[in-house]
Amino acid sequence: MLSKIFPTLTRFRFTIQLIMLFVTVYGGALLGTYTVDRISQALPSLACAYDKQTGDHCILIVAQHQLHHRIGEALVKAQEITLNVFIPTLISVGVFFSLFFFLNKAFCGWVCPMGTVQEVVFRIGRRLGRPLNRFAPGNVGKVRPVKWLMLLVLVLGLPLMAGMGTASNELGDPYCQVCPSRLATTLLTADTEQIALRTSTGINFFLGAAGNALFGFVIIAALAVRLPFCRICPLLSWNALFQRLSPMQLVKKQHDKCAKCGVCEKACPMDIHEIGQEYGKKAFHEDCTLCGRCVEYCPDDDVIQIKFFGIKLFGSSREYYKQRVKLETPEGLPKNKVIWLAQAKENQHG
Amino acid sequence: MQKKTLLNALCLAAPLLFPTLAFAAASAPVATQPRQSMAAGEHAEHGEPVGAGGAEVKDKTSGGRGKFMAWTAFPILKIKMGSEGRERRVVTVIPQGIAANSIDAYSNDIKDAKGHRQLPLDMAGAKLDKPEAGGFHWLVAREELDGEVRVASTVHFFSNPGKNPTAMFMQQKHELEIIPQPYPREHSRYRADEDWKFLVRFNGKPFASQWVRLETQNGTRTNFVSDAQGVITVHLPGDFKAEAEQKNADSHSHGRRGADFVLATKYIDGGKTYLTAFNGSYGPDAFDQRSLAMGLGFTLLGMIGAAPLLRQRKATKKPTDAGQTADASAVPETSKNKEA
Repeated sequence: MLSKIFPTLTRFRFTIQLIMLFVTVYGGALLGTYTVDRISQALPSLACAYDKQTGDHCILIVAQHQLHHRIGEALVKAQEITLNVFIPTLISVGVFFSLFFFLNKAFCGWVCPMGTVQEVVFRIGRRLGRPLNRFAPGNVGKVRPVKWLMLLVLVLGLPLMAGMGTASNELGDPYCQVCPSRLATTLLTADTEQIALRTSTGINFFLGAAGNALFGFVIIAALAVRLPFCRICPLLSWNALFQRLSPMQLVKKQHDKCAKCGVCEKACPMDIHEIGQEYGKKAFHEDCTLCGRCVEYCPDDDVIQIKFFGIKLFGSSREYYKQRVKLETPEGLPKNKVIWLAQAKENQHG
Repeated sequence: MQKKTLLNALCLAAPLLFPTLAFAAASAPVATQPRQSMAAGEHAEHGEPVGAGGAEVKDKTSGGRGKFMAWTAFPILKIKMGSEGRERRVVTVIPQGIAANSIDAYSNDIKDAKGHRQLPLDMAGAKLDKPEAGGFHWLVAREELDGEVRVASTVHFFSNPGKNPTAMFMQQKHELEIIPQPYPREHSRYRADEDWKFLVRFNGKPFASQWVRLETQNGTRTNFVSDAQGVITVHLPGDFKAEAEQKNADSHSHGRRGADFVLATKYIDGGKTYLTAFNGSYGPDAFDQRSLAMGLGFTLLGMIGAAPLLRQRKATKKPTDAGQTADASAVPETSKNKEA
């Protein structure tokens, strides 16, 4: 029964993503106004606090506010750096990581509303016959450090400096001001407030302009690039700090044909070429969101597996692979589906 | 290869490309968002059922405690943040327009030791410290004199939301009550040009067809009537003046402009007069000091920046790059099938 409803892992994951999109974007309206505050303590996940209907709050705004209002201020008044000051921050971060501990970076691949939005846009791009732009092994390394820069500067550095009084108070949550999820999730609730630029000060305007431009770029780029924003998302680097500590792991065994096959590389939405070239710890790269596509598209039995406490949750299989490629190419192009613009083009020429 | 280089360049340059444009635009004169002002005749039709207003204000006492606010004669509770504006853990509650002996503070964790506290008042006000749970606090001052019961109430939110405050809000705390339905949650606030609901209750029961008066620091005076369920829908007026720089002093407001409002209702029962007020602060409307046109403009700019990625490339010998590959039949050769 379940296998008919969810013939593939991707279908199952996409269903989870849509449910989580609904919970994170509209959950407040469904479960009650104040519920968001409670859920955020249990599921301090990835939904935007600027969304008035959200059922959850993103950990990044919590982190920025606590650096701004608690740690930064406390550092100024050194005598107040006590457990009472750090405990709230530790609780927020600790609760997040306690959940992260069990899910690892599946947060990104299964829960994040911005990830879901980008995947939906990418699917539209496939149906529109748009090209797939991938990062070559030599180029992807140039983009990867950006996420660490985003984490260090926008999530940690500037809010802390604002709290200490060495940066403008308006830089208390700079990451949120440029985060495309803020615009995507609020627009999904028909709220246009966030897309309107704040014109009160130059800093506000600059951050808003950069955020809006980035949002526009991501939405269009997602038609032709898989998960364009995820590659520079600071949550990816944030999660990567503790990636090895979680019992949820992507495990790849050494296999002599891997370097020649490379289908899993093509299937990876994050262009992690290491999954095809490496094995062991190196194959579970810091950019991996545990979406499971590499497992689905590995044509050999149990070469790649998602394991939880060492127990296999999902493993590659040749039979599954054969069925999977009948439905969709590793690059995400659906089989036996009308490709609208491509079809029109063919008719035009034909 | 050139395409890939272009892709990389665009992805890396996008966040860096726009600062220049943004700064250029920021230096241009910014059109001020038009703000609504209450037409003089708008409220002329309303009566004065509660019988209070800014014009009647008299300075009853010389101290801060009990002193009427210049803009309203109704009793209110003002919240003052820590002395340096950075302190989040202790606030001072200052009753104005009411001579109370203490402030009752209810936290959203009613069963907690600090669920209900009586805060002693001194000349500066009553100190309210943040409990471990943080969260919402219902603050109330009560004065009973010569057959008149006056109540001032407000809500203060400490960071860390804690338990759901609905039960605490709905718990009966005094005779005549005005209860937010709901109160703005964390990261939110009352704002002009928005509708917010409040429940009017008497002795714990919804009070239908009851007049409630709204007065704002910006000068609006208007009345609302509760429906059959005792609920009033208050439209907070867009009465912020463009030239007024009303930035709150405390950093908790994040430098946002704000003004106070008070809702008050009066009822006579069993020879006693009950006057209850609920006060809070509200900010300008959502689009104050925001430009939707510029927001859409920069979004469009970002979209244009990504447009080259959508161009269909010419067919290459490597079909995988075009995303049109991996035929179902193209099962890679593996050690197993090779052996087979």
